[in-house]
Amino acid sequence: MTPAPAIPSRHPSEALLVDYAAGSTDQGRALIVGAHLGACAACRDALALAEAIGGALLGELPAARMAPDALARVMAQIERPPELPQPKPAAAPHDWIRVPADVALAAKRRRWAAPGVWVAPVSGRAGGPRSYLLRVGAGMSVPRHTHAGSELICVLKGAFTDRGEVHRPGDFVESDETVEHTPRVTADGECVCLVAVDNDLIARDWVGRLFQPLVRI
Amino acid sequence: MHAIAQTLPAWRVSSPSAMTRGPKRPATGATAGPQLSALVAEIADHGDREAFAALFSHFAPRVKSYLMRLGALPEAAEEMAQETLLTVWRKARAFDPERAAVSTWLFTIARNLRIDALRRERRPADLEDPSDAPPSLAGPHGALAALQDEKRIGRAIATLSAEQAQVIRLAFFSDKPHSEIALDLGLPLGTVKSRLRLAMARLRGLLDEPT
Repeated sequence: MTPAPAIPSRHPSEALLVDYAAGSTDQGRALIVGAHLGACAACRDALALAEAIGGALLGELPAARMAPDALARVMAQIERPPELPQPKPAAAPHDWIRVPADVALAAKRRRWAAPGVWVAPVSGRAGGPRSYLLRVGAGMSVPRHTHAGSELICVLKGAFTDRGEVHRPGDFVESDETVEHTPRVTADGECVCLVAVDNDLIARDWVGRLFQPLVRI
Repeated sequence: MHAIAQTLPAWRVSSPSAMTRGPKRPATGATAGPQLSALVAEIADHGDREAFAALFSHFAPRVKSYLMRLGALPEAAEEMAQETLLTVWRKARAFDPERAAVSTWLFTIARNLRIDALRRERRPADLEDPSDAPPSLAGPHGALAALQDEKRIGRAIATLSAEQAQVIRLAFFSDKPHSEIALDLGLPLGTVKSRLRLAMARLRGLLDEPT
């Protein structure tokens, strides 16, 4: 039996939620925010507010000129039956928090990276902004590293400690290039995180430098 | 009565605010923009084409304007505006006027279409993946009861200072990140972010008060 999900204690900034509502976050960051939203009713409320503001501002925009036959074209399409329902999206493991469909699908692309560690690319590609799933076994740490740009994490399962704080499912953790850290998974069990980065991690010790080519994160 | 939402086909559950029609609640009579939500109800209940034409003439040009501000070319914006309204026709029955304003619904449909279009441009080969439009995981639990009230939201926005209104508008209607918005305004990034935060806090406070 899974216990009732905890309320996340770490949240995205207001600015990030507004960007998300406006549709201007890149794909990887949008997925992290989306995963957090699935677990956080307070942030869903904040998003609903931001979307309502977007809608109200939409109503006050000046009208652009539509093509003369625009309405006729849409009316013609109304005659046709709607497209078939989308196929059911892939399901993520039941012990994760609810995740966007892209993330559930990506879990199938997992590959072994090191003992106790697997990664699964979700969006983007190496050397640029991208997102991936990272699974690390109980009690293990990620070698000391920093970032070239920002790193967003949403915990999907398990927990890890970082700089004296414990991050649990649904928690949204943001780090930037000023942060150098060695996150460690708690002893209770494996931890799966969804991670979005602007760029590659920068390993800060020899273990990390050995580890990085294997993991490619 | 069983939860109606569970029996809805998946394609109806589209927007991040999950505007699925829940079990019927008694009408509160408190909805603003009643004419807009009445038009959607006419479409949902009777397939009313005149109601649709009225919604189209109000929203399609504004949705096009919105998409062009976000950097879409006029032709693409035209097509997406048409598709936005087509989606309104097809999903009218899933819209719940007690949870959100019609303009909010239109805004999220248009936004999601644009996100999908941008994604197809960037990754033309990757047709297998589902849409990365913001996911419809669950709706808000509705702490702010005034969010379905278009006029009230408009009045709340009108009370913002000029500086706050400016950063809010830029956040929604420019395709620039906050760092570039800050450069354009000649302000430190922190100032832009704090104005945004203050503006949102003010709007939340105004919309949280009972009428």
